[in-house]
Amino acid sequence: MTNAATQATSAIGLDVGTSRIVAAYREDKGIQCDTQLNAFVTIPFSKLTQSVLKKERIPHLVQDNEITVYGDESERFANLFHKETRRPMLRGVLNPDETGSLMLVREIVRLVTGREQGDGQKICFSVPAAPLGADAEVHAHETALKEMLSRLGYDPRGISEGLAVVYGEMENSNYTGIGISCGGGLCNVCLAYLSVPVFTFSIPKAGDYIDWSAAKLRGESATRIRTIKEESFHFNGQFTNKIHQALNTYYEDMIQALVAALKDTFASVQNMPKLNRPIPLVLSGGTAMAPGFRDRFEKTLRDTDLPVAISEIRLGASALNSTARGALVAALSEL
Amino acid sequence: MNPPHSYYFSLEIVLMYLRDMVERLVERCASCFSDPAERLQFLQRATVSDEGGQGRTRFTRAFGWALARHEFVRKLLPIAGLATLITVALGIAVVVEGGSRQAAISPSIPPVNRQAEEQLNASPNAEAPELPPRVWLVEATQGFDLYSNGLRVENQFATATGPRTYLVFARNLRELEAPERRSSPAGIVFHTTESHMAPFEEDHNQGLRRAGEGLLEYVCRKRAYHFVIDRFGRVFRIVRESDHANHAGHSVWADQNWIYVNLNESFLGVAFEAQTRREDEPSPLNPAQVHAGRILTDMLRARFGIAAENCVAHGQVSINPGARQAGYHTDWSAHLPFRELGLRDNYSQPLPSVVLFGFETDPSFSHDASPVFRQALLVAESDIQQEAAARNLAIERYRETLQERYKDTIKALAASTPTQENSQ
Repeated sequence: MTNAATQATSAIGLDVGTSRIVAAYREDKGIQCDTQLNAFVTIPFSKLTQSVLKKERIPHLVQDNEITVYGDESERFANLFHKETRRPMLRGVLNPDETGSLMLVREIVRLVTGREQGDGQKICFSVPAAPLGADAEVHAHETALKEMLSRLGYDPRGISEGLAVVYGEMENSNYTGIGISCGGGLCNVCLAYLSVPVFTFSIPKAGDYIDWSAAKLRGESATRIRTIKEESFHFNGQFTNKIHQALNTYYEDMIQALVAALKDTFASVQNMPKLNRPIPLVLSGGTAMAPGFRDRFEKTLRDTDLPVAISEIRLGASALNSTARGALVAALSEL
Repeated sequence: MNPPHSYYFSLEIVLMYLRDMVERLVERCASCFSDPAERLQFLQRATVSDEGGQGRTRFTRAFGWALARHEFVRKLLPIAGLATLITVALGIAVVVEGGSRQAAISPSIPPVNRQAEEQLNASPNAEAPELPPRVWLVEATQGFDLYSNGLRVENQFATATGPRTYLVFARNLRELEAPERRSSPAGIVFHTTESHMAPFEEDHNQGLRRAGEGLLEYVCRKRAYHFVIDRFGRVFRIVRESDHANHAGHSVWADQNWIYVNLNESFLGVAFEAQTRREDEPSPLNPAQVHAGRILTDMLRARFGIAAENCVAHGQVSINPGARQAGYHTDWSAHLPFRELGLRDNYSQPLPSVVLFGFETDPSFSHDASPVFRQALLVAESDIQQEAAARNLAIERYRETLQERYKDTIKALAASTPTQENSQ
């Protein structure tokens, strides 16, 4: 994104995900999105390396005797130095085990927005729904991000990730329906009725859970499993490859957990609005992009007795950017 | 004469029908907006309550807003029948909302209160009750005190030290001008006794009792803590609440308005007979201790008007002034059951010793503290880095400035407080 583009925009939608950070902003022809990996890698400091990075304009920080390369470039450098990338976030919130995680998120936000400081623009950023018993962690995460964005010169407001999916994908149903974001750390869910959230929740089984579990089962690195998952995995019912079999097992587990949580939440929610017609359900996020995922999810959901009728189950029109787009719609609506 | 039951039943059906009509009308109007943000704006105006509800309905307000939009007028007006319908529905909406101040579209939708939402965002864990229930003394004997919430405080080890008196410093003042002198406790520091733990099993009753008695005699001699909760959930008064006790030593805490330094005088000390456990280990408390902790906390908060944000773990307040480090003692850096004690989760508060006095955090925190506590440490560190950058100072220089403030505070205390502090 160019600085000129951000100068023109008065609102930004920000999806702060465990694996990616996406900024959405409005341009003449519609909504544009910029993405960076929410990851980093550290390499030993040398003046030569630093000067090369500067010359190549590769985003990096120098701290003590280390150079931290962050964003998309971190993956390339991880391969170059035979290292695993690390994450500033874990299971949807700032990773307490990584010192400087907030600072790295700030730098990646600067990358995706294309500017060092804001000019008081409205910015809506995604916040996960708290998994059971983790509401304080999510609150601390939201507070930290809000503070950081304020200091960057924005006017920030958090928006539930599931609700952002509804705002990003369900304009045609007047923001009524179920939005599901299957990300790296969490699956976030929201039922909204005419834009008003009825319930939101999250489960801690998502992309990372699948990668780590399959890696443990097969004795491989999580990075290798993730690469295989993204490049060649698909649900077709027949798996000759043992890694694909493991991926299928844990994908299935995640889908079962997601549908069971949805059913339980419907059963426990009070003040459920009277829905006078079937509602749509939209799947989004990188974990939902595996070929055949939608069909498998639909089969599991149709086999489950939900108290509401579902009119359609579809993949988001821009599944990797749904949350950021929805956050942008929320930000624009507040201008 | 009261109307028959069937009258109310019929009225309910009519209201349901009217609400359904209003809802369809809102949807129809919303679909006139091709811009997703404007559509969302309209829907939120039509469905979300705010302070402007008096005398006007949400729908009329939303409709008035929509009429100012050119696109809305252009698309809506050709639908002649709908215009009539709107007129009727506006009247209906007034009737429906006049009868009920619930959500405009459907009475069953939980309304989103932006003001409340903002308040919730503004205060950490605001869902925790801020005010404790009222608790009063029911019976006072030489051996025990009984309170209205079932709390029984044993007095056989109760001792006196000297009356509490301490200085508090205004948080927003750069200079240490006119600190206030107070005598009522401002908060509670929770401790673990770190004493010998016999297995909590029936076969070890004798060992459990012996360890407990030995502990009580020891803390009584040391005038340590105001209260001790033993492993059977019994509450023992060690130092009277009107007096200072040795429990927090070098320590710092701050609420929204005031800074408290060296909390032996200003905070009450409550110790659980327990040993510190790491974050990945199970809680060191049993249910009887948690219950006793809850009713004791409720009593103290009700009696002294103590704010929830001032009920904290020893690990959060303890400092090592020589090394300028927070976290000299680390008890309750994890596992303090704030919620079960009727408090907000104060682990999420940035440490005042770091933010206000530029202390660095003890490295042991990064292994032993709860995840929320560790996040709060990160936030505190980030805060002072940002503050330093805003002042165009190197972080080390900014820390030095803050540490000077700590030194000045200590000098002010030394000049005014005759009490000898015990480095607990």
